[in-house]
Amino acid sequence: MSAGPERGGDRAPALGWVRRRLGAGRAGPIRPGQLSAWFATPAILLGLAFTLGPMIVVAVFSLMAQPTTGTGVEMRFSTKAYEHFFMQESFTGESRFDPRYLRVFAVSAALALGVTVLCVALAFPIAVWMSTRTPRAQNMLLLAVTIPFWTNLLVRTYAWMLILAESGPANSFLAFLGVEPTQMLYTWQAAFVGLVYTFLPFAILPIYSAVAGFDFALAEAAYDLGAGKLAVLRKVIWPAASGGVVSAVALCLVPAFGSYVQPVLLGGGRLVMVGSLIASQFGEARNWPFGAALSVIILVLTLLGALALMRWTKRSAQKVTLAV
Amino acid sequence: MNGAATIPKAPLEAAPVPRPPTKAEQRHLRLDHFPGLWLVSLVCLAFLYIPMLIVVAYSFNSGRQALIWQGFSLTWYQRVFSDASIVSATKVSLQVAVIATVASTAMAVLYVLAMNRLGRWGSAAAMALLAAPIVVPEVIMGVATLAFIRLIGLNPGFWPLVFAHTCFCFPFALMNIRARHGTLDPALFESAADLGASEATMVRRISLPLLMPGIVSGALLAFVVSMDDFMISNFLASAGSTTLPIYIFGLIRKGVSPSVNVVATLLLLLAVGVTTATTFLSRQRGAAAGRRPT
Repeated sequence: MSAGPERGGDRAPALGWVRRRLGAGRAGPIRPGQLSAWFATPAILLGLAFTLGPMIVVAVFSLMAQPTTGTGVEMRFSTKAYEHFFMQESFTGESRFDPRYLRVFAVSAALALGVTVLCVALAFPIAVWMSTRTPRAQNMLLLAVTIPFWTNLLVRTYAWMLILAESGPANSFLAFLGVEPTQMLYTWQAAFVGLVYTFLPFAILPIYSAVAGFDFALAEAAYDLGAGKLAVLRKVIWPAASGGVVSAVALCLVPAFGSYVQPVLLGGGRLVMVGSLIASQFGEARNWPFGAALSVIILVLTLLGALALMRWTKRSAQKVTLAV
Repeated sequence: MNGAATIPKAPLEAAPVPRPPTKAEQRHLRLDHFPGLWLVSLVCLAFLYIPMLIVVAYSFNSGRQALIWQGFSLTWYQRVFSDASIVSATKVSLQVAVIATVASTAMAVLYVLAMNRLGRWGSAAAMALLAAPIVVPEVIMGVATLAFIRLIGLNPGFWPLVFAHTCFCFPFALMNIRARHGTLDPALFESAADLGASEATMVRRISLPLLMPGIVSGALLAFVVSMDDFMISNFLASAGSTTLPIYIFGLIRKGVSPSVNVVATLLLLLAVGVTTATTFLSRQRGAAAGRRPT
């Protein structure tokens, strides 16, 4: 509780009771030049309606029954959607364990994990290298990394469709080397490359912002104590960057796990990831409750991850941001 | 040269002069030099840029095949600009993006000006709510918004698109405005208050002018995010409100094509322009703020 005198007698009208309930003080004294808390309500209402609202609806829909005809849900409680995730009902009506969808989750998780590990492994040396350039060069490099970040996802994915196409540059290059051209597009490897390509800037930016302010006097101290270059990287710079690394992991792992565009366009029909599975439930498969159940499972996993992240942030006193 | 009579030479001259370190050794001695990092970095930068440059190069191809080079021409640019479906999809995208940008930026400005009054818990909860669209996988945001729209009795179409875009553009608009707000000097407001300025006057005469670079770059980023979105729009658009990314996705699902090369190049140009502009804006010092923005 804040013991200090509070300036500006007008408390936030909407959230005053929350504060009293939680006994939380203000972060600091209210500065003049602030609008009343009411002015934050349009944004909060929008968030409540179009972020929280849809999440709640999805959670509710996942517990509804699938209508016999048409799309949508039947307003009747049912846990069928969740059973459908593990079980398959045969024509005779008996259900048995069915690992099909679990396998889709495993494939997505493995691919997302691989992409994240590779992205962070590449991003760390790049971030350290960037941070050791002159300020002018750093700004240029930062711009160079940010441009792909803001480039249309379809454009970035399309570039790889072009390169990996049957008569594309990659196969021409192989032919030039005297290697048999192979089918490269529509394989899981193509989707993997596309995902790494998309998420590399997501990994570089947070790690760079963590390393950018690094005080190389610490490295000097380590050298004086007899550490080698590698030891300095591993034991001095890596811990300083770990907040950025955790942000990078969060920013790569979750979106890669739920990705749709890259697996569909580069992986082709044989690679089914969670994203396309969910999309198809709301499309051709017309099983909204099951699609909603899959979404809820991912949302819960994401939420647990976020909570773990918060705990880690608190314990390690590292700054972790999800905004880039 | 021996004997007690000779004056001993200065020790500096007597000691063998050390060989000056070579350039490579000098570099190695620098505290912030790590061998090999530059190679990894340059390879990765090439990895990021070469695919896009290939698309740009092929967009100037004159042939009907996307991948067989038949000479330089602007034919496909001409065709894209006169392609009715691409033009109308671009129009829809622009309309949605402009409304969503204005709405989300305006809300972000109001939010930033009021957020310190929400209290610690209030603003933490509000941030978690408002930043959620960045973290939640897009496909889930898409299907969830579709389910929500259907439940409240709307059909997919233009306005659901606008609402959803405003919502997911908001955190991107907010980022830069909030960063800029953090650099404002509290002394400015204190002296204004001492001189009897009302809160409204301070907002109008101090906050808004100083926040302007952040507001412009936030709006630009919101615009790009809206123009780029495929996944969420795909669930919310109807036949009459096909946006540009939805149309492109339909095209490239069938394979590579010369007109997509052109559209991709134009979208890349948009990203380069906006990123350069926002970088420039965020580096501009606020004349009165005096502090370097973080």
